[in-house]
Order: sequence, then C-alpha cells, then structure tokens
Amino acid sequence: MNKDYILGVFKDEESLVEAFEKVKQKGILPFEVYTPYPVHEILEGMGNKTRISHAAFFFGLFSAIGILTFLTWAATISWPINYGGKPTNSFPSFIVVTIVATILSITLLTLFTFSARAKIFPGKVPEIFHSRATDDRFVMVIDKKSLGENEESVNAIITAHGEVE
Amino acid sequence: MYNSAVRGRLIDGNKSLGQISEEILSPIHAKTPVWWYLALMGALGMLGFGGYAIFLTLSKGLGTWGLNNSVAWGWDIINFVWWIGIGHAGTAFSIFLLILRQKWRTAINRAAEAMTVVAVMAAALFPLLHMGRPWLFFYIFPYPNTRGPLWVNFNSPLFWDFVAISAYLLISASFWYFGMLPDFATIRDTAKSKIKKAVYGIMAFGWTGSSREWLRFEGLSFVLGGIAAVLVVSVHSIVSTDFAVSVEVGWHTTIFPPYFVVGAIFSGFAMVLTLVVMMRKLYNMNDFITNRHIDAVCRVLIFISLIMGTAYLTEIFVAWYSGSPYEMYMFFKNRLTGEYALEFWTMFISNAVIPQLFWFKKVRSKMWMVFVISIIINIGMWFERYNIIVTSLSRDYLPSSWTPYSPTWVEVGFFAGTIGLFLTGVLLFFRFIPMIAISELKSVAKFDKPQKSVKHANHE
Repeated sequence: MNKDYILGVFKDEESLVEAFEKVKQKGILPFEVYTPYPVHEILEGMGNKTRISHAAFFFGLFSAIGILTFLTWAATISWPINYGGKPTNSFPSFIVVTIVATILSITLLTLFTFSARAKIFPGKVPEIFHSRATDDRFVMVIDKKSLGENEESVNAIITAHGEVE
Repeated sequence: MYNSAVRGRLIDGNKSLGQISEEILSPIHAKTPVWWYLALMGALGMLGFGGYAIFLTLSKGLGTWGLNNSVAWGWDIINFVWWIGIGHAGTAFSIFLLILRQKWRTAINRAAEAMTVVAVMAAALFPLLHMGRPWLFFYIFPYPNTRGPLWVNFNSPLFWDFVAISAYLLISASFWYFGMLPDFATIRDTAKSKIKKAVYGIMAFGWTGSSREWLRFEGLSFVLGGIAAVLVVSVHSIVSTDFAVSVEVGWHTTIFPPYFVVGAIFSGFAMVLTLVVMMRKLYNMNDFITNRHIDAVCRVLIFISLIMGTAYLTEIFVAWYSGSPYEMYMFFKNRLTGEYALEFWTMFISNAVIPQLFWFKKVRSKMWMVFVISIIINIGMWFERYNIIVTSLSRDYLPSSWTPYSPTWVEVGFFAGTIGLFLTGVLLFFRFIPMIAISELKSVAKFDKPQKSVKHANHE
C-alpha cells in the first residue's frame, strides 16, 4: 500500500506488544506506532521521553514568584491602601490568589507546551497511516529504509501476530 | 495492580474495541430523536425566559430583585453556590478518582466534566449580574488602569472568588477539551458524512494516536491531574470564605471551608447520578455505565451524606458550646425552629437522612429510586444554601434591621434561565460529543479479559 513504509496492523494490545518487542530485538526501531489508547510498553519502548512535568514545575515556580511579587508590589509600593489599619503587606492572604493563579498559569502554559511539542493544534492536517488506528487497530509503521536485509523476517513477525498492509 | 475483583467487570457484554467506539458514538451518528428536539425547545424556552429576566435586571436595575438592605444577597448567591457546588463533580470525578486509580471513573468522567463546564458558566452569571453594572465587571481585574493605577483589594474573599471561579472555568474546560481530542479523532476517522469528518477533524486538532502524542498526552494528564486536584479543595473553600470571613451570625465559623467542599462534592455527585441515570435510560448506555457504577456512586454518597449530617450537627453543637447568645438564637430559634424551620428541616432530611437509604442494595439497584434520591439531594443542597444565607442575613444583630426576604419572579426567572442553560448544554453534549471517554474506556477494557501473562496484568 505504502511504498516507503510497512504497516503492521494488529487487533489487540498484546499482539502489538509482542511483535513490537520481537522487531526491536532485531535492532529495528519502528518509525511510529499508532494506538487507540496509550500502551505503556510502546511508550517506553519507542525511547522517547517527555519533559512536560519538568516544564510544568518551572512554569509553576516562575509564575508563583511572579504573582506573589506583583501582589506585594501593587499592595505595598504602587498604591498602598489602608484597610482598617492593617499592614499593607498582608502576605498570608496573598497566598490564596497566588496558589489559584499559579495553577491557572501552569495549566495554560503546559497546554501550550503540549500543543507545541506534540504538534497538536487547531488546523493541523493529520498524517493518517491507517484510518482505524484511532478506533480498534494497533498500527506499527516501519520505515523500509531501516529494514536493510531484515524485511522478510520482520514481515514474518508481523504476520505471526497480525497483518501486513 | 489496582485491579480489584470486588468491583466486578468494568464493561458488560464482552465488547470488542470497535464495538465500544461504535456504541458510544451511535447517538452522534444516528438520526436525532424527536424527544431531543422537544427537550431542546423546552430548555431554550427556559433559557429565553431567563434572558428576559436578565434583560429586566439590566434595563431596570437590581430593584427588580427582592433584595433589601439586610438581605443584600438572596437567590443570586444561593444559586451561585449551588451551581458551583454542582460544578465540583468534574474535578472530583476525573481527578480525585484518577489519583485514587478508580478505573470505573472512565465511564462517567466525561459527563461529569461536561456538566462542570456548563454549571460553572451558569454560576458565573450570578455574581456578574449582582454587580448591578456588569458592563464594568473588568474593574475586578488587577490591570494597570487610569484610576491611579488603583489595584483591587487582594485581601477580599470576593476577589479570591473571582480568581478561583475564572481559573476553575478555564482549567476544567481545557482539561475536558484536551481529554476529548482522541475521541474526536475517532469520530473523524469513523464518520461517513463529509461534513462530520471535516468538523470533527478540526476539533481533533490533528490527533493521530501516535506514540509521541500519547506520551505527551499522558504527561499532560499527569500534570493537570496533579495540579487541578488542589482545585477540588480550593475553589469551594474560597467560596466559603465569602461567608466565613464576614462577622455575621451563623457564618463566622472555621468549619465552613471543609463543610462547603464536602457539600459541593455531595451535590456534584448527586447531579452526576441524575445525569448518568438519564444517559442510561435515554441512550441505552447500560453496558458501559453498569449497575455497579451506579452502585459505586451511591456508596460514595452514603459516606458524604454522613459527613454532611456530622457537619450540620457540629454547627449546632458549636453554636450551643460557644455560649454566644447570637449564635444560640440563630441556630435554635431561627433555624431549628422559627420562621425558617421548614428550609432547615428540608435540608437536613434530604441531605443527611434520605441518602442513608442507599445502605440498602434494593434501593441502589432500582434506577428510579436512585434518580429520585439524587434529585432530592440536589433540592436539599439548594436549601442548605438558602438556610445558610437567608436565615443569617434576615436576622442579624439589630432587630431593627430584621427583614423578611422573598424572591421576585425576576430572580426566579433568572434561576430558571440558568437551569435552561444547563439543560441546553447537557442536550448538546448528548448529541454532539461522545458522552463517555472512548479511549479511556478502551484502555481499561483489557482488565475485564483474562490476562495472558503476569507481566501485562501488572502493568498499569
């Protein structure tokens, strides 16, 4: 079907994972694997790492500092207001807004990071290898260039667990 | 791991992955039923009536409401707190149960999150309109303005509330939407009509289900789940400080934040129950939202109901224990007995007594009874807010400023309008959005099947 890629199409998670591990033992890393839901063996096996939680931590750190600084600056330096003689720098009650606004900043910034890194954004044209990969098929896409002389053995592995398309 | 035999199967009927998507998507692909149009017309009618009430409020002013100098907050704040409480179901379901690794949440969380978004939108209208001049609502943003710049009072719970509600709305809406991306992609890839393919294709943001996308998606859910768990507790705690920080009889207590949070989760779960029982009945989702799911929610409700009862009794006990004549008067002469006794006892019986019927398996397994009790809880929770707000405000320290309060039809119409908004949102959700998180349900479907090898069984 596709000139540059071999598509291994599997009906369930276990067949995919078994075939995936056998293909990897041959020293071949599939180009990409498409699944209807996250399969952890694949996510680990593909060797990609996500640093999204690290990013979120720093978003949180910087927004917390930024928000608290802003609140303190606005209430004590920019325009100090006397509320019944209470101190203008009422640190404890600034914490409430700091927490909530930090959560909001983390959420929005992490979403944008996700959108940028996973390339998921409005108007993106998806590259669909197999139309049932979001429904009930597990699709392993292997670049023919990476196969070398193993093409036949890889085909055999795939057909043992699923189908080649 | 985390898989308990006690809970039973998560999906009935030995469905293949293809069947799961097909059956959940069937309301989207099928012809719209007649009852849906009728219900939508009813909901839009209510929304229109609410729109007229809002128009009167805006054109004539807050004088169209039954508020007065003593009771400056009436149905508006009651309904605000009520809707926000209902809106807690989304985070409670998706995030608390996610953290607790409750797999049965997958069948219900989408509906709970959808409900949250609409409920919070309905809630946000009340403080907005109560401002009197809502077109100046942006004054509440701390932005560099030409009035000094004069900043808002960061110590005011009302400002915290504004931050909490807007953050909650944005976060729950984006959490909900990003959770739907894989399902929109499923619709795009399975739909036959070209229009559906195009529309859901745009909504899917180009999702393909590749390992790179899933990896980051999991990372995102992890971050948002962890961080938004704080919101379950913080939002309603902040709402409660609107009351607890003021020196008002019956409000000025430290029990308020936990009491409000538990109450919010209680009403949210009750509304989820109302909604999923309807989903089962109207769309035949019994295989996904099984009797065991309903049973689990009912059990949670028993527990929360006990906490509610304890909170009510604690309030009364503390009023007596404090020895403050004002507190004693408020609870014993004004709430337990007296002019507002009916509201108090409605609250107490519907929230602390009737849900105890869920102890009986026969009650939990009869859907009409579950439905009726869930509605009773919703009503009871409304009366809880009525009881807190109106009793305290109408009878404050000075008998000379005591005033009775009753709403005008404009306030009632406004409330009816928000119910119309909620129903409209829910109906649109039923029709156009997969009402169960398909990809999440597929990911737990394997736990129903006998495991081939130990390795997979142990892998979450």
